[in-house]
Amino acid sequence: MNKTKHSSHIGVKTFNSVMPVLLAFVIGAVIIAVIGENPLETYRIMITKSLFDIKGLTRTLQVAAPLFLTAIATSLCFKANIFNMGIEGQLVFGGFMAGIVGHYVTGLGSVPHKLLCFGVSILCAVVFALIPTLLRAYLRVDEMVVTLVLNYAMARILEYLSSGIFKDRGAGYVATPPVQDSAKFFLMGTTKVSPFIFIAILVFILAAFIMIRTKLGYTITAMGKNPSFAEATGLQTRRTVVVLMMLSAVIAGIAGAGYMLSEKTFYTLDFSGSPGLGWDGMLIALLGRHSPAGIVAACLFYSALKTGVEKIGLYTSVPNEIVSIIQGLIVLFLAVQFMDERYGFMEKFRQKLAAGKEA
Amino acid sequence: MGAINSIVYETVVYLGPVLLCVLGGLFAYKANVLNIALEGMMLMGAFMSVLTAYKTENLLLSYLAAVAAAMALGLVFSFFGVKMKGNVIVIGLAINMLVPAVAGFIMKVMNLPTITLSWFSTKSIQLNIPVIGDIPIIGPILSGHPPITYLSYLMILIAAVVLYKTRFGVYVRVTGENEDAAVSLGLKTNLYKTAAILIGAFCCGLAGANISMERLSLFTNNMTASRGFIAIAAIYCGRGKPIPCTLYTILFAVINALAEYFSLQVSASLLLKAVPYFAMVAVLSIASAVNRRNAADRGAFAD
Repeated sequence: MNKTKHSSHIGVKTFNSVMPVLLAFVIGAVIIAVIGENPLETYRIMITKSLFDIKGLTRTLQVAAPLFLTAIATSLCFKANIFNMGIEGQLVFGGFMAGIVGHYVTGLGSVPHKLLCFGVSILCAVVFALIPTLLRAYLRVDEMVVTLVLNYAMARILEYLSSGIFKDRGAGYVATPPVQDSAKFFLMGTTKVSPFIFIAILVFILAAFIMIRTKLGYTITAMGKNPSFAEATGLQTRRTVVVLMMLSAVIAGIAGAGYMLSEKTFYTLDFSGSPGLGWDGMLIALLGRHSPAGIVAACLFYSALKTGVEKIGLYTSVPNEIVSIIQGLIVLFLAVQFMDERYGFMEKFRQKLAAGKEA
Repeated sequence: MGAINSIVYETVVYLGPVLLCVLGGLFAYKANVLNIALEGMMLMGAFMSVLTAYKTENLLLSYLAAVAAAMALGLVFSFFGVKMKGNVIVIGLAINMLVPAVAGFIMKVMNLPTITLSWFSTKSIQLNIPVIGDIPIIGPILSGHPPITYLSYLMILIAAVVLYKTRFGVYVRVTGENEDAAVSLGLKTNLYKTAAILIGAFCCGLAGANISMERLSLFTNNMTASRGFIAIAAIYCGRGKPIPCTLYTILFAVINALAEYFSLQVSASLLLKAVPYFAMVAVLSIASAVNRRNAADRGAFAD
């Protein structure tokens, strides 16, 4: 009995995640149709080029690698009701510094050089994240506004550094010099994915383990459900805020360095893309409803979307912004629950679902 | 003297739209709805005003389009946030993501990297105040601004009066302070929340039109450049009270003008552009620390 109830609960949760995606795609199709293109053809290209050939599929994994990390980093905070939007800033700062260390430090072996890059990136991300963390924990300054604002500040600082001291004189545009080969992750064989994916998966599993199986994970859930109650029962919410913000900064640092060494290899002003890996991660975290399994599914789906859009420009005249529109719509629809997850006023639907499972 | 003049002028220019956002946005804050979509609504106003002006060459229609589009976003926000009881932070984020995407999409379809209005000169809508405009130094600072800039100063008074001297203002504040009590008195709290959000959207639409059409007669994507978040910071610092919020906005505008001015003087100009953001964090922290003294509770989450 208990088991069927549990599975129907998952059914409702899945429904609540799939509905927004479907709705967003329907509206996206209408927009594509309005500008006189064929929506089904556009979607078909997006899906086949990202999932149904080996190059596309491995490319999807490559795109997914940093997003797994930014998504779980966001989830760790959001699930505990900490609206940490600083992942983006921490990621670009870490990635930038990894790029600098990757270029200017020479003569190291392949493994030590990469480790150094990751170390510096993590350190920078953590130091940068200390500002909102300490302000939040000790002065109760709203972390959302501070992290948002600091992202802008970091973008300006990196713009200054990359167009001044660290500018690659040979490049025709603002960019830092590319990292040395010893720091680079190369694509494996004929695929489009680099070994960084394994690091990403490992870190993701560790973070997921913390989230579900440890005392910290329990505290996160308690704080997310009712912060005052969590505090009243003696959970150290202030310490948890610090730990979570630091943990997510570490993960953001790993994502930034990994993205730099495996994909970009030098810093440009649009390093993180639009809307940026941190924001993508947040969307994935919301889409996956802060559960590790949900995040994996959402991340693969989202990365396929991102890979697919790289191709639609070649075959159609639909602007790439269509994906940003679909993304925004998904987030908008995700904000509301289409079906109540706790009380289940659609009991019939649940019973049907349970009956279907047993049959 | 020239330096001070240009800093003050830059402050006045920057202040207008942000102030409008702050004073519009604080209604939602008072109704206990956190509207972080100010940025998106403002960008929508900026985009629609220039787009309409480009297509119709009609000034009045452009203003109307800016306000209508921003208020449409306000309706979307209210529908999902108030009616459907969704997470308002997520909805705000979604709107902030959607607007630049939609603007970028339409501009790609129209094959324009920026929309420039060739028929329209910003000079034509500048209002010169008769006597004050003739005073040597203060004149050019106070006079010769587009209509919405003046409206934003007028808005300080309007916001204060509506919020504290009208029945509507009282109901909005009651809704925010204790919704259950408001409901038990028979107030339609959803109505007041929606109205508060729409007032904010209205102001953001005008603020956007000021930034794009009135000041530059062109639109480039993301030209609002985080002014909406500066407005949110000011609302937080001033805790939604019109006069303190106005003072914080002026402070941010002065910091911004200083950074703009000095970035023209020194070589590390890009670095100086990061200063206003750090200054904002500092001001926000000090304001929080001071406000916190009056609170008797403990811990990281109590408020």
